[in-house]
Amino acid sequence: MTGLLEIKEKLKLMYSRNEVFIIPIAKFLLAFVTLTIINGRIGYMSSIDKLPIVLIAALLCSFLPIGFIVFFSAVFSLLHMYALSMEVALVGLCLYLIMFLLFFRFSPKDSLVVILTPILFAVKMPYIMPIAMGLLGTPASVVSVAFGVMIYYFLSHVIASSTAISSMDAGEVTAKLRLLIDGILSNREMVVIIAAFAVTIIVVYLIRRMSADHAWTTAMVAGAITNLVLLLVGDLVYDTNMSVLGAILGTVIALLVAKMLEFFGFCVDYSRTEKVQFEDDDYYYYVKAVPKLTVAAQTKTVKKINTQSTTVSSKANASGRNSGTLGRSTSASHTVGSRLDFDPSDSAEDLFEDLFEEDDFIGNSRNVVTQRTVYKRNADRSASAFRRNNGQHGVTINNNMNDDMAEDNDFDYNFEELE
Amino acid sequence: MLHEERIKLMTRMESYAQNGGNKNMQIGSYFRGDYISIQVIKSVVSVTIAYGIGFVLYVLYHLETFLEDIYKIDLLAFAKNVLLYYGVIVVAYGIISYLVYSYSYSKAKKSLKKYYDHLKKLNSLYRDQA
Repeated sequence: MTGLLEIKEKLKLMYSRNEVFIIPIAKFLLAFVTLTIINGRIGYMSSIDKLPIVLIAALLCSFLPIGFIVFFSAVFSLLHMYALSMEVALVGLCLYLIMFLLFFRFSPKDSLVVILTPILFAVKMPYIMPIAMGLLGTPASVVSVAFGVMIYYFLSHVIASSTAISSMDAGEVTAKLRLLIDGILSNREMVVIIAAFAVTIIVVYLIRRMSADHAWTTAMVAGAITNLVLLLVGDLVYDTNMSVLGAILGTVIALLVAKMLEFFGFCVDYSRTEKVQFEDDDYYYYVKAVPKLTVAAQTKTVKKINTQSTTVSSKANASGRNSGTLGRSTSASHTVGSRLDFDPSDSAEDLFEDLFEEDDFIGNSRNVVTQRTVYKRNADRSASAFRRNNGQHGVTINNNMNDDMAEDNDFDYNFEELE
Repeated sequence: MLHEERIKLMTRMESYAQNGGNKNMQIGSYFRGDYISIQVIKSVVSVTIAYGIGFVLYVLYHLETFLEDIYKIDLLAFAKNVLLYYGVIVVAYGIISYLVYSYSYSKAKKSLKKYYDHLKKLNSLYRDQA
């Protein structure tokens, strides 16, 4: 496990140093895959179903904001629909506009979920989405995932009825519209999937936030089971003709992917190299702030204070996730020496705020380096670990970075934070 | 002469501004009531357009029925229904918008507090130097 965590640290280091290349490449690849799938699946307009066009659009997406991937995908799909029939494009446009107006005003960042959901459906792995969004998102992700599912089923319906639509006369406008709208509204499979995904996201989210050991793993397993049961019940009740074997296999794959997400997503802080420019009366400043990360595993001591006082030393993993490490050992060149008053009844959010009162940046005028010592999720977990343990037998956790730590039976803890 | 402490502080502040801070500053420039009102009005406009689109689709879907029974339909009752649904949707969406934007306003203000503290500290550093 330590080896894996060190690989993770190295990957983080690589990411932080090469972020300037990695993000555009990732955006390019996502745009390229999305547009290729759209062209491959719908592909009615031959003039845009060409590699150079897709490459140009993907290249544009690589340096434009991420919302443009959604925009280009919508434009490509609408153009293909227009090539099939103007009425189809009209219904598609109305659907996109309603989604945009009602939801994406609130959370434009979630627009990527609307793209990823149909892509995962296309590659037969849709069950990843609710578990992943429950782990990484908020309950509001229910809406974006539901929109993604609707888009997938709408496009599938367009593809399935393309022969019928193209055989209709140009005058049969209302018949075409009715065919398309009925396809969306009376699709039971879509309704069952939306309901199952919504419940799964909420279940995963709620369990993930609980202050229990292995909350993430419990959340993903519970989510996978919930999803599977709901899909099977939905299949029985509404006779949706869902592939049971496919659902089980998909759920197993989703669990594996979720476990990977936990590994990379949990306790994550992909600090990155930042280039900032500012000025004062005397100078223009062009500062490059490089994250100061270490790969070496750290040692920490867990000190138990109860009737049988024992000291347990353990080799900690680099992320310090299994016990309440409040800080992270780094090669320090600068002591802040601040004192934190920590009350176990504090929420994780409060604790995080307190901790972040400290300076993150250390350095000199030539090389300003950034150092993130505390992670929100780490703090989340630490606070819950403290609360849980204090309720039982009063445990304080010392991350071995300081000697000056005081504790008493009223659960008031003071930490010296060394950066 | 370069002032190390000041550069560190300014780098932190600029980094915050680049990573979402500018948006928060924009929100923070409004009074709470003004910001929420503007956003709720924008939401009402959005939901009105969306409702309009939905209504057009509904009419197109039932176009043949409308054309056949145009003289038989109680247009007043129909309009009342349309407006009633519109009202319910607008109110519901307005309440959701209010809650969302109240939350985002308080979050932005909380995050700006630290920024303003840094600003004060920077100011005092300049004063000390002078």
